[in-house]
Amino acid sequence: MIRPPQNRAGARRMLQQVAAIAGTTLIEAIQQPVAFLILLSAVLTTLLVPVFQFHRFSEDGRLARDSGLSCMLVFGLVLAAGTAGRSVADEIARGTAAAAIGKPVSRVTFVVAKWLGVCGVVAIFWCGVLAATLLAERCSSHFLTLKEFVGSATDPWTLALSFLGVLSALIVAASRHFFWRRRFGVAAFAGVALSQVAVAAVSGFYNRFGELYPLHGEAACECGAEHAHAATELLLYHPELNLRVLPVALLVLFALAIFAALATALATRLQTGAALAVCAGVLILGLAGDALTAGAPLFSLRGLLSGVLPDIQNFWLCDAVAREGRVAWVYVAEAGAYAATCCAICLVAGCLSFRERDLG
Amino acid sequence: MEVEKVIETRGLRKTFRDFWRRPTVEAVKGLDFSVRQGEVFGMLGPNGSGKSTTLKMLLGLLHPTKGEIRVLGAAPSDTRVKARIGYLPEVSHLHPFLTPRETLMYYASLFGMAHGEAVRRTAELLSMVDLTQAADRAVGRFSKGMARRVGLAQALVNAPELLILDEPTSGLDPIGCREVKDLVCLLAKSGVTVLMTSHLLSDVEDVCDRVAILDRGALRAEGKIADLLRKPEAVRFLIEGLSSEAVAALRSEIEERAGCRVQLDYPAMSLESFFLQVVAQDGRLRTFEMAPFLRATQGTREGEGGACSKL
Ligand SMILES: Nc1ncnc2c1ncn2[C@@H]1O[C@H](COP(=O)(O)OP(=O)(O)OP(=O)(O)O)[C@@H](O)[C@H]1O
Ligand SMILES: [Mg+2]
Repeated sequence: MIRPPQNRAGARRMLQQVAAIAGTTLIEAIQQPVAFLILLSAVLTTLLVPVFQFHRFSEDGRLARDSGLSCMLVFGLVLAAGTAGRSVADEIARGTAAAAIGKPVSRVTFVVAKWLGVCGVVAIFWCGVLAATLLAERCSSHFLTLKEFVGSATDPWTLALSFLGVLSALIVAASRHFFWRRRFGVAAFAGVALSQVAVAAVSGFYNRFGELYPLHGEAACECGAEHAHAATELLLYHPELNLRVLPVALLVLFALAIFAALATALATRLQTGAALAVCAGVLILGLAGDALTAGAPLFSLRGLLSGVLPDIQNFWLCDAVAREGRVAWVYVAEAGAYAATCCAICLVAGCLSFRERDLG
Repeated sequence: MEVEKVIETRGLRKTFRDFWRRPTVEAVKGLDFSVRQGEVFGMLGPNGSGKSTTLKMLLGLLHPTKGEIRVLGAAPSDTRVKARIGYLPEVSHLHPFLTPRETLMYYASLFGMAHGEAVRRTAELLSMVDLTQAADRAVGRFSKGMARRVGLAQALVNAPELLILDEPTSGLDPIGCREVKDLVCLLAKSGVTVLMTSHLLSDVEDVCDRVAILDRGALRAEGKIADLLRKPEAVRFLIEGLSSEAVAALRSEIEERAGCRVQLDYPAMSLESFFLQVVAQDGRLRTFEMAPFLRATQGTREGEGGACSKL
């Protein structure tokens, strides 16, 4: 018998449960020093690329971008799978999972909320590394032909600001901890990510030569063919960031969500290390997918692999933005639907496995 | 009138298996027992006798290998039923980074409680378990007894109708033990059904109406404590302020008249009462107050005073 008012109350309670479990998962995960170290390594590696560039084949920007996106994928994979493994496998072992299931929380709600919590961690990480990637590309040396300048230009101001951002996030987190006894891990993790986003936003107030806007278009920047500014146009705010990276980065985020779902499902039965190893295997096979399974007969091991593994190549389109290329938003939407399907399959498997699991 | 059975198990079995699904331990072997509405039921047994395993099956945390369980008239996995149960696990499993306040708010939100209500209950429970001072420190660094208090508070956050306590007094100081026992009695008086396990036989004797004794997964004895422990042939007089001559005279008089042996003893205070008296001199003993929201919810229990009248 279906009684709507009760169901509405039930639905509200379920949402509240999901929010509580996901929120606690997020806080616990980013409170871990290892999560913070992963974010810090990804951001610093990305920002250091423009510092140590020696080959100037006018591809410096691309190099910075590609390595930023690679950091996003690889460090993100470790973060997603590690966090999911820890927050599910460890909670089962520690008994906090049983404590939640002893309350009116269904096992499905628990698994889905855990995944959402992990996705939250990954999303904060993603914002930070995406901003760092955009900044690294801006700071790499570019060959410019402006009105009164011809030659290679780098942007040391922005690079300095980025590192300063990381440093000040750490100082703020430490002082919050010292003076107000607030959690260091949470503030440091969110702070480092936020600092990169903030620097990316602030960098729109000046051009590569450190000249503050407003400036006349032609003198201010060289934006490429697509929206060259007329000499007379007065620019007030102009972020010189390669926003074509955004759809590519979104695809990486989708891949990370799949890995989070896969690791969540695996962690209902396996230890964190094992879940992480399986995810790394899926990444490698998934990236090699095309080469591995091309032309394989349907009923063969290779055919089976191509059917079962998510095709990670679909989410790795770094090269598409080289030389002014773009990724169509329609493609992003399609890849999003594909990723959602993969996540759903993993989560259903995870729920089925967790339903049978003894928590004792 | 038939008393409603809050918990009922029939032929309950649990066999733990290893990774390859080979049986490793038969923890519970065909358990039949029931807990009635409003009683305090104690479960006793040596280590590894299957007490915790049974409680976990009642909560749907472990799946029984065989047998049937009804809790509050439904299967244990039913989330609507779990909304009416409070559970204190054997080890207080807490999120180490959360403070007691955050922990209680977290559990309150798992019950879908409105924010204002959750804040009020959290404050009342923290004061009840005497953790208001430590309310904003992370529980990861708490002592065992303090963690136990947080565990106890989280078990009560939903004002449960049925309270399942796995060794509630383990790790608590004598004051804490006494408070837990007081609490169980007060809750029982206001109509809450309590199922608890303990290794401290005196705890069980003080608060439980009925007990079951488990050994190696099977039920060995079950019944009212008074019935189980009664020695029908013995009588005890308790007389205060008698001189030793009067005692000797009385003794010989009885032995002569009734023709039976009289055993004399001088009752001493229990160590627990003595400890509580000593601590009270420091003014450390606070008056225990049950959280107001727990008082309001249930109807009061009529009829017999139960085991708690001893306290
Ligand atoms: N998850 C598990 N996997 C395998 N065996 C288990 C598991 N949990 C309990 N057991 C076994 O089941 C038996 C009963 O354990 P249980 O924890 O129920 O005992 P108990 O009566 O609560 O003991 P104690 O008084 O020490 O708490 C023990 O032999 C124990 O080793
Ligand atoms: Mg036990």
